[in-house]
Amino acid sequence: MKQFMKHRMMKTAALAILGAAMVGGSAVAADKWDGGDDLPTSPLACDAGPAAAAAAKPYDGGQSTGAPDKAGKPITLVDVPKLIGIGYFNATSKGMQDAAKEIGNVKVTTDGPTEAKIDEQIKFIDNYITRGVDGILFAANDPVAITPVLKKALSKGIHVVGYDANSQPDARQWFINQAQFNGIAKAMVDAMAKEVGEDKGFAIVTSTFTTPNQARWIAEMSAYAAKCHPKLKWLETVEAQEDNVLSFNQATTLINKYGDKLSGLFGMTSVATPASAEAVTKAGLCGKLAVVGLATPNAMKPYVNAGCVKSVVLWNPVDLGYAATYVMRAVVDGKLKPGATSVDAGKLGKLNVINGSEILLGSPFIFTKDNIKDFDF
Amino acid sequence: MAVLAPEVRSAAPRWLIRHETLLAAILLVALVILGLFNERFLTVDNLLNQGRLMTEVGLLALPMTFIIITGGIDLSVGSIVGLCAIMLGYSWKNLGFPLPLAIAFAIGVGGVAGFVNGLLITRIRVPPLIMTIATLALYRGLAEGISQARSVRNYPEWFFFTGQGEWLGVPVQLWILLVGIIVAGIALDRTTFGRTLYAIGNNETAARFSGLPVDRVKLVVYTLSGLAAGLSAWVLVSRVTTTRSDMGSGYELDVIAAVVLGGTSIFGGVGTIWGTVVGLVMIQLLKNGLALTGVKGDATIIVIGAVLIASTLIASSLHGRREVAG
Repeated sequence: MKQFMKHRMMKTAALAILGAAMVGGSAVAADKWDGGDDLPTSPLACDAGPAAAAAAKPYDGGQSTGAPDKAGKPITLVDVPKLIGIGYFNATSKGMQDAAKEIGNVKVTTDGPTEAKIDEQIKFIDNYITRGVDGILFAANDPVAITPVLKKALSKGIHVVGYDANSQPDARQWFINQAQFNGIAKAMVDAMAKEVGEDKGFAIVTSTFTTPNQARWIAEMSAYAAKCHPKLKWLETVEAQEDNVLSFNQATTLINKYGDKLSGLFGMTSVATPASAEAVTKAGLCGKLAVVGLATPNAMKPYVNAGCVKSVVLWNPVDLGYAATYVMRAVVDGKLKPGATSVDAGKLGKLNVINGSEILLGSPFIFTKDNIKDFDF
Repeated sequence: MAVLAPEVRSAAPRWLIRHETLLAAILLVALVILGLFNERFLTVDNLLNQGRLMTEVGLLALPMTFIIITGGIDLSVGSIVGLCAIMLGYSWKNLGFPLPLAIAFAIGVGGVAGFVNGLLITRIRVPPLIMTIATLALYRGLAEGISQARSVRNYPEWFFFTGQGEWLGVPVQLWILLVGIIVAGIALDRTTFGRTLYAIGNNETAARFSGLPVDRVKLVVYTLSGLAAGLSAWVLVSRVTTTRSDMGSGYELDVIAAVVLGGTSIFGGVGTIWGTVVGLVMIQLLKNGLALTGVKGDATIIVIGAVLIASTLIASSLHGRREVAG
């Protein structure tokens, strides 16, 4: 074939193009930490516990129109997380099943995309609206993009409750807030400063710069660090989707790129944190390079037990799914109405309403070598 | 490159009719079965909604049919969608373009992206597979670099008409797709341009010696592919209300699956727009029907894969003789 005669030429061209792609893809460093959003921040006080309660806000959630009255009757719910098949959403799903069993007249199915893609998630929700369910529980891949389809659900008489990752408030009735952003930010930055010292450099491995939770945490961490640990040096934030291999590669690249200047890594997702810990282990830097991050305990046990990771920050995702199911039942039963200040969530007791239409799960939890064995999710 | 040019030419029309009829029959059977399982499946509401969800991939599948008929491929379409979506948001938000101009600009960027593919493929003779794998990375990288991975939101209400509105009870973007299908169908079936595509796919050398403008036609189809990606990006951004740099990733595979399932030969020279449309509808409704019947997402992907293999097997067992490629 005559094309083979052009082989060398086309190879050169392809390489040049790939090279250009890599240059085009690399991010440009900025002063503010990359990966944060542009919303206002509210860093907590440096030493004290929870700050004073924010001013009460009127209910700003949406309403389901024309929903049949199913108070006390069996209901079918569908749970559409960001993606399925990862430890974190397996845990929320387990919490939902636990709650459903306790309540008795609730049936929950978890179904969703295998990749955290917003247009896939929209299709899943759309199909469940057509199929007909009593309620939708969701964790949004994008707060704005998911809004039209959730509003459609509300308009068809389906109840909508979010957890983990919010939509715009008027597209759902309630949102279970697993932890306030500034609370997590404080726990993360304090743990890092305690482990590496006040004047060391660190980098962040996140999912993408636009994922709502991660962007919010990073913005809050940036603000809290500026206020309480001003000498900590932020080097770079890298995107790693929610992908094991990519996270590992990104963390390894950071380690090689910064060498001694890098004393700590923040993992912003339950995928990035164990992958970062693995990268540190493989580089033989356990104990020298700290990893602090959000992750599920099972994934972190080997690194925590080996002494490679000292603090894993999270809430309990099983409780999160559990609370979401209880909240949905309360909404259907008419027990949780706009303006309520608390809701009863089974074994979790009373949970408080914050920010108008959000329900706070509690303070963040730090898993350490001493307590991590007590958790299995 | 097929070496059976004369024979294929005479055999092709009959074979095509049979393949598409077969596919349409399978589709019909599948619809009836899925309809029996779930009463909400065969409703006007659901079907129109599926049309809405199908449009972005559908718009890409039309020029892809042209490209595959010439024996080429365009793997960069998903990345061009991402790039155009970003250019739409970026030019509107950061460069201060009025939104209608931003839309036109984004579609124009798509055209340029496709033109660059075509130019390198025809001038430097980079094989389309390699060229578009390279631009798959390049365009996605540009999208991420330009956007700094920030999403653009808060479009005005009128902008959502294309992606979420209805005209005469039918989703707006479905009208766009219908017009696209008719234009592409006529262009392929009734014009010199269409016949040139088949000629290139059957035997490019012969087409060149016959004095056909092979390079110009190829340049046109890759540019069309880019323009369609721009259009698709506009519809997608309007539907999901947000611009993100990861938009359209993986579309290339959905598009190629629809085209090939519709009977277009990956070796070139054979294929129709009608087949592509049947392939497209089949994949979309199968996914939807399975989801409504209670098959979970991960299992649905398995079924789709199995259907692709099965229909390819059926097609090739009926026409085992003709898959001889140079």
